[in-house]
Amino acid sequence: MARIQLENVRKAFGKVQALDGISIDVKDKEFFVLFGPAGAGKTTILNCIAGIAMPEEGLIKFDGEIKNLIDPAHRNVAMVFENYALYPQMTVYDNMASALRSKLYKTPEDEIRERIMWAAKTMKMENLLERLPSQLSNGQKQRVAMGRALVRTPNVFLMDEPLAHLDAKLRNSMRTELKEMQANLGSTCIYVTHDFMEAMALGDRIAIINEGKIVQIGTGDEIYYMPCNEFTAQLMGDPQINIFDARIGEVAGGFTATFPVNGEEITVSLPEDGRVYSTIKEKGLEHVDIGIRPQNVKYSFEAKEGYFKATVYSYESIGNKSVIVAECGDYQLRMIAPNGLSVAIDSDVYIRFELDRSIFFDSVTKEYIVRYDEQTFIDLAKSEEEK
Amino acid sequence: MKTGKQKALNILMNVLLIIYAVFALFPLIWMVMISFKSDTEVFTTTFAFHPTLANYKEVLLRSDYGRYILDSVIVSGGAVLVSIIVGVPAAYALARYNFPRKEDLAFQILSYKFAPEILVVLPLFMIYQKLGLYDSYLGLIWVYQLISLPLLIWVVRGYFEDISVEIEYAAQVDGYSWYQIFFKMLVPLIKPGLVSSALLAFIFAWNSFTFPLILSSNKVYPVTVAIMKYLGTDSAHYGQLAVASTVSALPAVIFALCIQKHLVRGLSFGAVKG
Repeated sequence: MARIQLENVRKAFGKVQALDGISIDVKDKEFFVLFGPAGAGKTTILNCIAGIAMPEEGLIKFDGEIKNLIDPAHRNVAMVFENYALYPQMTVYDNMASALRSKLYKTPEDEIRERIMWAAKTMKMENLLERLPSQLSNGQKQRVAMGRALVRTPNVFLMDEPLAHLDAKLRNSMRTELKEMQANLGSTCIYVTHDFMEAMALGDRIAIINEGKIVQIGTGDEIYYMPCNEFTAQLMGDPQINIFDARIGEVAGGFTATFPVNGEEITVSLPEDGRVYSTIKEKGLEHVDIGIRPQNVKYSFEAKEGYFKATVYSYESIGNKSVIVAECGDYQLRMIAPNGLSVAIDSDVYIRFELDRSIFFDSVTKEYIVRYDEQTFIDLAKSEEEK
Repeated sequence: MKTGKQKALNILMNVLLIIYAVFALFPLIWMVMISFKSDTEVFTTTFAFHPTLANYKEVLLRSDYGRYILDSVIVSGGAVLVSIIVGVPAAYALARYNFPRKEDLAFQILSYKFAPEILVVLPLFMIYQKLGLYDSYLGLIWVYQLISLPLLIWVVRGYFEDISVEIEYAAQVDGYSWYQIFFKMLVPLIKPGLVSSALLAFIFAWNSFTFPLILSSNKVYPVTVAIMKYLGTDSAHYGQLAVASTVSALPAVIFALCIQKHLVRGLSFGAVKG
């Protein structure tokens, strides 16, 4: 139960700068998610907090106390390793008991038993306690690794993709379980994942990491609705957000966006929105990248007023819905459709954007400029943070 | 259901194995037989003879044979002990840490085994004479490191490399100090490798002949050299020679049988994602 702060932490492995000035402030009892592509430095951050890796620069503080020179044993952190790191010569029970049996965290045996039984029950593995790690499947090992952390009462739980190897059903139930458990235990938790659903579902706040740097920190909705650049926008959301280059034009009483679709120039008028209009005027924007989520792209298979024509590139089912990908020349558009449509590849599809849900990015720097209804989402983020 | 073809193959394989076993064991069996023969019967080539314990009495009760065995145990055991104390940390360092010219160093250690003993033993003889190590337990234990240390380091290093470093991290996070981790987590995992390489090193040291022949004389008398005593200048007592050889082979056999169960590998597999 502690507040964890990292201040300008830098860490290099040889010539590779793994962490390049990481600063985060994880509040006490917060569920903090580190989210980013593979090789972004997420695990290295956990290792620095646990004391396994020593940063070359920067401070690591627990509750304001500098911990840089404290060894891992005395930091009182519980860590779930991505490759489980179970002790092969010990049974599952002894694995889970190991921390509580160390000299530092000595606990009476009957209390150990009680806690292990509780953890085994929540992780649904009471029947595995007498087995050796070599007799477990990957999913079971992962649960044991989780259990080994959960029996402790550490300053912070560090979890490195703890659900990655579970089957889909168990993963979903664990996700719910985990969130509730963390709330009940009242402990700080730093959680690494590369699964966007997990990040959104679990994190009180999410930090987007890329190439050893923090890209954005915020609540799930904040990052989803107001991504600070195109990279974040593309990372959050499945199917991925559509981003295309458009030219801004001015007409009487408003603005238009013009973009090419299969060689044709399509011009649509931008819906009126105070914040968007004033930003365009102030910055004198001529080119922007428009980002629009797949659920805000409307389609029709017959020509309709206000729709433009493209060709179907693919149609694939992703469970309870489907994704239509349309070819538009230089780029493709993804949109959500219900299941069970019979869509022929290369057939015509007519598309309309709900532009009043779009996000504008700078077409050169790829940074966030403005979005529709910005104030609503700022308020939403604020109210979430206060919670 | 086994087909006839498989059965025939099975029988053939067993027959071949039996032939090989007889081939490999025959010299040993012959040696044991000679040890029970009287001097007059030694050269008969039939299996029929009049067994006698005279040779055993002569060697075990009327000579210093016990002392020779003890000397062998001290130098070989001492050599293996030193190798374990020095070699296990060395193997750990070679497996875990990165330092300049690490592989060169590892190869250098291995290369000690390449040198023919007879080549290094003459300069060693001169050095030992000067240092006063000649004909001492310490001297032999030291030189036996050339035999036992490289073997132990290379085998145990492989075992350390098989252990994922995250296991050490996990134990650190669990609140254990480095020494506790080493003895509680790592030693059980390298035990099969440690035991088997220590046993092999012991056998190699035990069987070493050139080093004790040149580097020791009266005070330290390992059994390999001592056996030659039964080759007199005028007559060869082959029966007694056979007894000495047979008895000297026993400790290694007994050790091997005792620790057989540790020779099974596979403990360290499976706890870490492949």
